[in-house]
Amino acid sequence: MNFEKSYIIAIKDMKEVFSSTAIYGPMIGIPIFFAIVLPLMTVYVALHAAPSIAARIVSMPVLPGSSISSVKFMVFFSVNILGTIFLTIPIITASVIAADSFAGEKERKTAEALLSSPASNSELLLGKILASLIPTIVLTVLVFAIYGIVTNILSSNAFGVDVLPTPSWLMMLLLSPFLAVAAISVVVLISSHVRGIKEAQQLSSLLVLPIIILPFASIAGFANLSVRFFAYSIIALAIVDAIILWVSIKGFKREALL
Amino acid sequence: MANNIIINHVSKSFEDVRALNDISFRSSPGVNIILGPNGAGKSTLLRCIAGLYKPDSGSIRVLGKEPYYDNTLKQRMSFLSENYALYDYLSVKDNLIFFGKLYGMSEGEIIEKATETLKRLDAYEFIERKVYTLSRGTKQKIAFCRATLNDPEILLLDEPTAFLDQQSSEEIRKSVQEYERMHRTVLLVTQRINEVARYNARLLILNKGRIVNDSKTTDIYKSMLSGSSISIRLAKPLKNSVAASISGFISSNGVSYGNMLRFKIRNYKEVNKIIASLIENGAYIVSIDYAEPLVENIFGKGARDEF
Repeated sequence: MNFEKSYIIAIKDMKEVFSSTAIYGPMIGIPIFFAIVLPLMTVYVALHAAPSIAARIVSMPVLPGSSISSVKFMVFFSVNILGTIFLTIPIITASVIAADSFAGEKERKTAEALLSSPASNSELLLGKILASLIPTIVLTVLVFAIYGIVTNILSSNAFGVDVLPTPSWLMMLLLSPFLAVAAISVVVLISSHVRGIKEAQQLSSLLVLPIIILPFASIAGFANLSVRFFAYSIIALAIVDAIILWVSIKGFKREALL
Repeated sequence: MANNIIINHVSKSFEDVRALNDISFRSSPGVNIILGPNGAGKSTLLRCIAGLYKPDSGSIRVLGKEPYYDNTLKQRMSFLSENYALYDYLSVKDNLIFFGKLYGMSEGEIIEKATETLKRLDAYEFIERKVYTLSRGTKQKIAFCRATLNDPEILLLDEPTAFLDQQSSEEIRKSVQEYERMHRTVLLVTQRINEVARYNARLLILNKGRIVNDSKTTDIYKSMLSGSSISIRLAKPLKNSVAASISGFISSNGVSYGNMLRFKIRNYKEVNKIIASLIENGAYIVSIDYAEPLVENIFGKGARDEF
């Protein structure tokens, strides 16, 4: 296997994605927008309504006039609610890029030249997987960083403490690449069965459903989003990723892109 | 190697449609043209040879290797598909550098080779432009440049001049003939008889997934002009009664005199006889044209049965 060919393919795919503002504009803009706006909303709620809300969702006594419940609410909301919502970023970003990379070749009828080049199946797949994974990881880290910084600026101004990072929040960040790989593997797996980008995106985006359940499960007390929870999630997802990726690569046929 | 491409009893189906039906042939050195109507299986055959499709049955060997399984072969082969297969949002230069690098070329080599080809095809000015901003004809020139970047020993071309003007088509033909002079193998697919007539090459007729005729491009007029008609333009009008005395006369463009005459011919040899008769009767010939028949009608049922 020639890694240089995979690198050439990855660079080409990334250039293609980032040459179209229609693709990368919303993909980057929306998460960054939320990374700034959501902490503002959180701190507003924490300041004005936290004691009563916190009493309902965080089991602690409400001390009138105290900011302890507000801080605790802010931590809980920043990690368990918004943090989990930000976990959809690696799935959606990886789905968008991978769908464009795999199903896009089919839709735009560009695969014939690529497949008749000397790049092997494994070089081709690795190149395309890297093209989806690298921007996804960069964007996720960037969004988590912006979110963390904005949250800390607001919380230190309001309460005099930095809310983030917490160990659970860092574990969430660590979980992100595994979620991205899952989304990419699903796109590879379905690339031979879909006709275009939209179909591939829609199917792979279904992976966000279990993530969206997490904040509700956390509020209802069904899931404790602790470090241990995320450690187990990473191990489970690594195994699932390895299986889906292996099945996708084994089942990948060059004709799938034509 | 005399037969760089060897195809043995290859069949390929897509669901219920049989695109290739038990095809066998060995390429000749130089240019091999595959002519056939829409849906004859020409592009499928080319894609099988390029290693994009795996045949359902039979075998394909290119330079002694199986193209579907052997990627090293692709270093020595190139395929120009009918839909250009260029990346729209990348510049021409980025497209060419990308493909050149996959063939192991350095950026300097790619630019040098691309500059030479693009200048010859009068498309160098577009090198920094994004592909989506280009016309179909220019895209075709870029795609041809891409296909020849690696100086392939085997060149597979699917309708390489379909959207090109006369001059650019001629440049592509010159390049193809250059490959022939270098004793390389070119497999060119087309459905345009006009294109076939410009080569002195081997000609395979493909219809409904089968090779129905294997001859030379020079033989095409035998079939093409059989039972066809020709139009002759004269410098001065000729009396219709004189024209009608010539065998095969169909019509004139004037009531009593005409300078555009139509004749039915049974074979290409009759063209000379008609011209000789017209000259004998004092006519001056300006041009002779024939009604190009549909490719479907050239090598029809009879030819297939004969084959």
